[in-house]
Amino acid sequence: MSESPLIEVEGLRFSRGETEIFRGLDMVVPRGKITAIMGPSGTGKTTLLKLIGGQLAPDAGRVRIAGEDVHALSRKALFRLRRRMGMLFQSGALFSDLDVFENVAFPLRVHTDLPESMVRDLVLMKLQAVGLRGARALMPSELSGGMARRVALARAIALDPELILYDEPFVGQDPISMGVLVQLIRRLNDALGLTAVVVSHDIKETLSIADYVYVIADGRVMAQGTPQSLDVDRDPRVSQFIHGEPDGPVPFHYPARDFYDDLLGTGGPR
Amino acid sequence: MKRSKTMELGVGLFMLAGILGLLFLALRVSGLSLEPPGDDFHLEANFANVGGLKPRARVTMAGVTVGRVESIDFDPEWYDARVVLTLDDELEDKLPEDSTAAILTSGLLGEQYVGLSVGGAPNTLADGDRIRDTQSALVLEELIQQFVSNMAKE
Amino acid sequence: MTALIRRLGRLGCDLTEGLGQATLLLVQSAVGAPSGEGVRLWLRQMYFVGVLSLAIVLVSGLFIGMVLGLQGYTILVDFGAEDALGQMVALSLLRELAPVVAALLFAGRAGSALTAEIGLMKATEQLTSMEMIGVDPLRRVVAPRLWAGFVALPLLTIGFGVIGIWGGELVGVKWLGVFEGSYWGNMQASVAFVDDVLNGLIKSLVFALVVTWIAVYQGYALVPTSEGIARATTRTVVYASLAVLGLDFVLTALMFGGLS
Repeated sequence: MSESPLIEVEGLRFSRGETEIFRGLDMVVPRGKITAIMGPSGTGKTTLLKLIGGQLAPDAGRVRIAGEDVHALSRKALFRLRRRMGMLFQSGALFSDLDVFENVAFPLRVHTDLPESMVRDLVLMKLQAVGLRGARALMPSELSGGMARRVALARAIALDPELILYDEPFVGQDPISMGVLVQLIRRLNDALGLTAVVVSHDIKETLSIADYVYVIADGRVMAQGTPQSLDVDRDPRVSQFIHGEPDGPVPFHYPARDFYDDLLGTGGPR
Repeated sequence: MKRSKTMELGVGLFMLAGILGLLFLALRVSGLSLEPPGDDFHLEANFANVGGLKPRARVTMAGVTVGRVESIDFDPEWYDARVVLTLDDELEDKLPEDSTAAILTSGLLGEQYVGLSVGGAPNTLADGDRIRDTQSALVLEELIQQFVSNMAKE
Repeated sequence: MTALIRRLGRLGCDLTEGLGQATLLLVQSAVGAPSGEGVRLWLRQMYFVGVLSLAIVLVSGLFIGMVLGLQGYTILVDFGAEDALGQMVALSLLRELAPVVAALLFAGRAGSALTAEIGLMKATEQLTSMEMIGVDPLRRVVAPRLWAGFVALPLLTIGFGVIGIWGGELVGVKWLGVFEGSYWGNMQASVAFVDDVLNGLIKSLVFALVVTWIAVYQGYALVPTSEGIARATTRTVVYASLAVLGLDFVLTALMFGGLS
């Protein structure tokens, strides 16, 4: 890490209602690398992406992107900063009233004054990169889940951002499209020198492309390191998560009173 | 882009229909005329009692609506009511000087309006002139009172 | 007891917060110079909100006008005043029925659709993704819909009034035999453009603002699940209808009630 990191998260605290989701999270995302953020469901990984993107404001702590404090920016400056980021949403989030071509062209049309012929060339290039140049006239409702996510990826890279945030890119994909996506993310990174943040709980796929991994649990960073070092980590919680063991320090059962007491209706109140 | 063309056409027709509808409401329903207001023909008439006459009530001749009541206010000089009538300007300089105005009631419970009847004098009324010969509104209570006192005398 | 008071307090806080957010939404989306792109988006929404509501509004207007003609005739003929039918039909339509019924229909037809559409965009993260692309969804999604509703409902109200008056004529004049001249003549003598037609339109503008605002806000602020969308859609229709009827009383009192 010779260069300054692209994203710095310091002492981040955030709560939703009564529940505290983050209690002092620190994290550094280096430039040009794929950083994975992993953790069990419900640990607020998507919330973290929203905090980085400036859609939510933290209770305390700071998020800096390229030296700029995201939550201290004016609305206008924040929108300017977001032009340098792309985000891939869990559902793809394609605009349902526009076809594939217009979806990818959308960021170009709103942020640039390029002539129509150049917009067309750029869109076709991005669609070619995700292998869907032939699907340009389809509406989002006609796409499969994997295709929709690839179109969304093309849209996310339309403005050639420095940073891409992937929110659960592998969820609900069949093995083939999962493989395609894994390859695409890796290739985009190598070819364009992007910085990527991947939020996921698909361990195998994520570990295969990530350069550095953060595992978060209980609102803090539980473990961090390269995929290799995590694989041999001795911490039982880390090892349970990485190797996908059903029971361990993270219990299989939701907290409840004793099973036999519950069945027989004996014992103290809940 | 064909779909957007039909859409534009639809919205255009919709808005045109709305504007035409407003025009219809203005001209046909509320009887608004597009003529400049300066061309109006006004007459004044003083009544001892206007009863329930309201501004905007009809002014008729031979049962045909020829104008409306513009304003009603109290005339402190004569202690009676001064009514300004706005009439069709084609009647300007056509009504004889000794025409009369009466406040009439349409039906038993209907609204009150002004009825004009034509006299026979050679001179005609011009804009802003006053109708001298007027007949006040019939006030039901006064009629009853007269009737009762006549009964008592007998 | 304290729990009850606390609940009341929380209700008050939630209410104030909601109102504040809704006002913020209105101001942020409606204020700002329109662009060429904005006009195109507005046109599109005019089609969905206005043109597609035209059929239901016109059909309802026709029937209400016909019913007014029939009911008015049976009452007026007892007093020998059936000549005043045109006046009665036109005044009740222009002052009350056209603005109110058109607004209620609009809330059901267009308002619920707006809520569901924006809610669905929220649930499928389209609004968030728009924000991340650096486009303000308030300007791009909410503003064209607000303005379209604001323009469309008064136009629909005019349509309702016109076709209602025609429906009254159909029944009163063509069927029941009221003299055509007195139908229109009485109407023209008693309907004033400013007092009746324009006041009706002002009512309609107020309703348009309130109904669209409620619809858009409910869509924008809903819980992004299928249940949340269903609830918000219902809420739009209920709140918008209540608001229209309540405001109608206030506006009527101000315009025709002699309060000044």
